[in-house]
Amino acid sequence: MKNILLYTLLVNLSLPLAGFSADLSKKGNSAVGAKVWSDNCGRCHNIRDARELRDDQWKTTVFHMRVRAGLTGQETRDVIAFLTSTNNPPRRNIFSGSSSTSSSKTKLSGKQVYNQTCIACHGENGKGTLPGVPDFTRNKGPLAKNDKTLIKNITDGYQGPGSPMAMPAKGGKADLSDNEIRAVLVYIRREFGK
Amino acid sequence: MLESELEIELEADGSTKTKLEYLTIDWFVNDYIALIAGKFLSPIGQFRQNLHPSWINKLPSAPPGFGHDGAAPISDTGLQIRGGFPIGKIRSNYSLFVSNGPEYITEWDGAGFELDGIDAEGKGADRDGEKVWGGRFAILPFAKLEIGISAATGKATVTSIEDELGTAPTLSNEQPRDYNVFGFDYYYKLGSVLFRGEYIKSKVGNATSGVSASDGGVWKTWYTQASYRIPRTRLEGVIRYSDFDALSASKDQKQVAIGLNYLFASNFIAKLSFESNDGQSGATSDDDRWYIQMAYGF
Ligand code: HEC
Ligand code: HEC
Repeated sequence: MKNILLYTLLVNLSLPLAGFSADLSKKGNSAVGAKVWSDNCGRCHNIRDARELRDDQWKTTVFHMRVRAGLTGQETRDVIAFLTSTNNPPRRNIFSGSSSTSSSKTKLSGKQVYNQTCIACHGENGKGTLPGVPDFTRNKGPLAKNDKTLIKNITDGYQGPGSPMAMPAKGGKADLSDNEIRAVLVYIRREFGK
Repeated sequence: MLESELEIELEADGSTKTKLEYLTIDWFVNDYIALIAGKFLSPIGQFRQNLHPSWINKLPSAPPGFGHDGAAPISDTGLQIRGGFPIGKIRSNYSLFVSNGPEYITEWDGAGFELDGIDAEGKGADRDGEKVWGGRFAILPFAKLEIGISAATGKATVTSIEDELGTAPTLSNEQPRDYNVFGFDYYYKLGSVLFRGEYIKSKVGNATSGVSASDGGVWKTWYTQASYRIPRTRLEGVIRYSDFDALSASKDQKQVAIGLNYLFASNFIAKLSFESNDGQSGATSDDDRWYIQMAYGF
């Protein structure tokens, strides 16, 4: 019988030489990115925290992972758009009472918001598609919290103690308005709550 | 983009081991093709290229046959293209490479020289002048399932030899031998349980001329693994079964490994595991082992 004790430190270095900035000229879609992220980024290793790296670091890492995971260029841009919007929730407009970001944008219903942005991680049935995503239908699940807390956590993002994955601010869709967030919470309560 | 990986291991006796696992330059040709040049992890199978970093591998050890002189190649020096493309709604990914390939090792077995192993670790210099080409193709019918097949073919030559006294006779006119690899791998996620496994077979042809002339041989291995992250905790349990069939019986190994991990973060993990090994009696491959490992990846 042999006993072995190992400490292993892995240092990965990726340097953005010239080459992929051109690839970033096309736009990524953060809602699609949330789905690409939840479908792919937990396949080989535990899914990482969307907030653990700065935007510029994420760009290098996601290009590195494009090579590992065999993502297409568009999927790569979508994931970067998703991570950028989770990292940088736009500042709220402190001058107007309601902080909806742009009035020209058509308002989405709670159902539309859920199906476009939240479904990738929370799933059609609200039970969650990834380890770390809570089950909305559980009795003592997150919906037991009050609206004020939930709205704050959807807006700013949230990671509970010991939780393996964070809820990204606004689910990664930075231009959600307060009204749309309220609407999607109403929808979630109606669909998945008791 | 430049990519590299350095693995630093501090062993129980206080010594450290540092290894450059790969160093490549990547160029994104278009949305579906990336060109990689340099020393890269072998695209055969999934363990070596996707799972070997210790913060990712759910057990402290590589499955038997996936280490040095095993059945699965480790790295290659050459050129590779890889990427992904959708086939309808199905995701797929591929890699194709041409490389310097491996070199062979022979040893004295009492009556003559015999193949002892395949040294398939990114040869910087192509000492045998023989190229190998191959690749992997995988499809994901849905996000929770990936199925990959891989293969490589070419020729390689014996470059390392040891006689009964442990000295190395001069090699001359070694005949290039065939080199063929085949692999199959899968990943499947069922609720909180992850299953994965792969099969890899490397076949080396015989040589009739040269100092090391001898019969060819086959190295094959497979493993399958299940891991379970206990919901709402930082604990993860894992079990893996592997069966490595080397050319020389003293290296054969069947293994059951069970482990318990604690995840401080997705990239910082503590692992405790026990391996029950069944090899030729008296050989090191028959020893059971306990492991404790702390692994951190940036
Ligand atoms: C096919 C397997 C695979 C998939 C899928 C994958 N990764 Fe990785 N990831 C790796 C490996 C292997 C490493 C270790 C570095 C290496 O060897 O390239 C790694 C390392 C990382 C790191 C550490 C930093 C670094 O650059 O090494 C981060 C962060 C990361 N991955 C994020 C992601 C994200 C985000 C996604 C989804 C787009 C993803 N991974 C999908 C295999 C994968
Ligand atoms: C990238 C994956 C992802 C997306 C996209 C996502 N969520 Fe989440 N969500 C999570 C995770 C993970 C948690 C659990 C965080 C924790 O408990 O640490 C969570 C938790 C929550 C919670 C419970 C918060 C609490 O206080 O316990 C609510 C409510 C929620 N999400 C709503 C939404 C809404 C609404 C959307 C769409 C606008 C959305 N989520 C999009 C991953 C996601």
